[in-house]
Amino acid sequence: MQEQLLTQLGRALVEGSLTDEALLAETATQPVVSILPDANVVKIGGQSFIDRGRAAVFPLLDELVENLPRHKLIIGTGAGTRARHAYSVGLDLGMPTGVLSILGTFVSMQNARMLHYLLAKHGIPFIEPAQFPQLPLYLEERRAAIFFGMPPYIYWQPNPAVGRIPPNRTDTGAYLVSEVFGTRSMIYVKDEDGLYTADPKKDPAARFIPRISVSELEALDLDDVVVERSVLELMKTAQQRRSIQIINGLKPGNLTRALAGEPVGTIIES
Amino acid sequence: MTTSGRRMTNGASPDRRHHVQSLLMRESLLDKQVMTASETPVVRMLPDCHVIKVGGRSILDGGKATTYPLVAAIGAALAEHRLIIGTGGGVRSRHVFSIGIDLGLPTGVLAQLAIADALGNAHMLGTLLAPYGVVASPPELFGHLLPLFVQAVPGIIFNGDPPFSLWEHPPGIGRIPSHRTDAGAYLLAECFGCATITLIKDVDGLYDRDPKQHPNAAFIPEITVAELRERALPTLPFDRVLLDLLERARLVKRFQIVNGLKPHLLAAALGGEHVGTIVRKDAAAIGPQSPVPFPPISDIARSAIWDEGKGRSGVA
Repeated sequence: MQEQLLTQLGRALVEGSLTDEALLAETATQPVVSILPDANVVKIGGQSFIDRGRAAVFPLLDELVENLPRHKLIIGTGAGTRARHAYSVGLDLGMPTGVLSILGTFVSMQNARMLHYLLAKHGIPFIEPAQFPQLPLYLEERRAAIFFGMPPYIYWQPNPAVGRIPPNRTDTGAYLVSEVFGTRSMIYVKDEDGLYTADPKKDPAARFIPRISVSELEALDLDDVVVERSVLELMKTAQQRRSIQIINGLKPGNLTRALAGEPVGTIIES
Repeated sequence: MTTSGRRMTNGASPDRRHHVQSLLMRESLLDKQVMTASETPVVRMLPDCHVIKVGGRSILDGGKATTYPLVAAIGAALAEHRLIIGTGGGVRSRHVFSIGIDLGLPTGVLAQLAIADALGNAHMLGTLLAPYGVVASPPELFGHLLPLFVQAVPGIIFNGDPPFSLWEHPPGIGRIPSHRTDAGAYLLAECFGCATITLIKDVDGLYDRDPKQHPNAAFIPEITVAELRERALPTLPFDRVLLDLLERARLVKRFQIVNGLKPHLLAAALGGEHVGTIVRKDAAAIGPQSPVPFPPISDIARSAIWDEGKGRSGVA
């Protein structure tokens, strides 16, 4: 490669080691471009939301459609109870984490397809990872697109520190879409008001937490958190997406308020 | 754990969610205790295969002089071993990173761009190894068809990159994607439970300093992840994220760095010999291959797997 074609950074990268921290630090001197700065990523929970069926899903979809004139929405789906079943059978059969990741992908894809058919009359497409280059067009033309939340790691899903369940699941996949495109917001629609000091479904004494930083959350060392731990890990090194919001989608109006920038639910920031 | 689909329930439960009966039903997958319960033995899908990763900048970018002798060595090794061959992206990836960074593109986009460079190298190496019956597979099919390929051909080539692409994790420092081709080749070996993984570079292995700049650098023949973290070496001859991945290994608990400029070392490395630097998960991860932790499936079948009264398969 001709020397004059390389920038100073280019020369350093071509000649140097990508494990050299001083060199790596030089790669962050330019600001990152926000690719889709006025879009919002909305992730709809699997077990927490879609598995509740019509009673939960229909009002939320109505609210999503009402917001389309004001907001561009990139809608991700969780997996839920069928993924848990597949994971538990798969664990018993000795499946590695990468195979469990594929099973989880299939379930979040089922959920994406179901929401897609319910929203089809509004012209909203379902896109797989290979179709993400069309996302900007769909957002401009139709104001929304649906994707499955699992990151497409399949066999390459890293092992978790403990156990075998894929550590990067649908919360993480949706988060990374928000991070890489530099979207306006990352909203998780679940069936709880947000983060509690314990699982409110199991512990009536659980206390609600409206706003918390990642480091404060880690210091609490909760047994159970409302969002995948790997999202919290990634938020610490994020280039763009430094806050997420978890809202109760069972309460009408919450999504509209969250999209308008109001602090409903729990906000976690790094 | 209960796995029987026969006891599936389909109605709405008291918490008004439609559950399917399973160990993890109603459980938060975010619960630490639930995660510990999922620590069970793992099947090895391709225990007889070896993964090798051929460096981009270190081997292929050197052209004929560095690549041809290694191709001959790989070709010879194919007579004895089934090989899954990953390739690095090399200098072109470094270049596209520098341009992309200058243009302000985020890490996920850089990861997506770099895949093309390793894929180009995979096709070049695939062309050279085609006379030996090696095929270069498109990444979309590669994982799913791997068991077919290893039965049908002596070796298969893929771009070493994991398919993280836009979903690449933002790195701790700077913009460069952390899961590159060493990491992708390792993750593949771990998931498929391969016999060994060998990273082929242009150095004899790990040194306490970069041996190309410091002729007196001391060679490190063998080291654990914890020892490597302790030493905090300024540079490493492999993706730094491999330390995190190896730390969480279940099946492939070590990798070896071998000098591809000394191609005769490849056969020795594949035979389990220590000819470069071996990085181990921990002190327990010794020997050419970790013991298979999953009992033979025929044994499990005998242990009353379908006994409804027990409600579990007998796999500890």
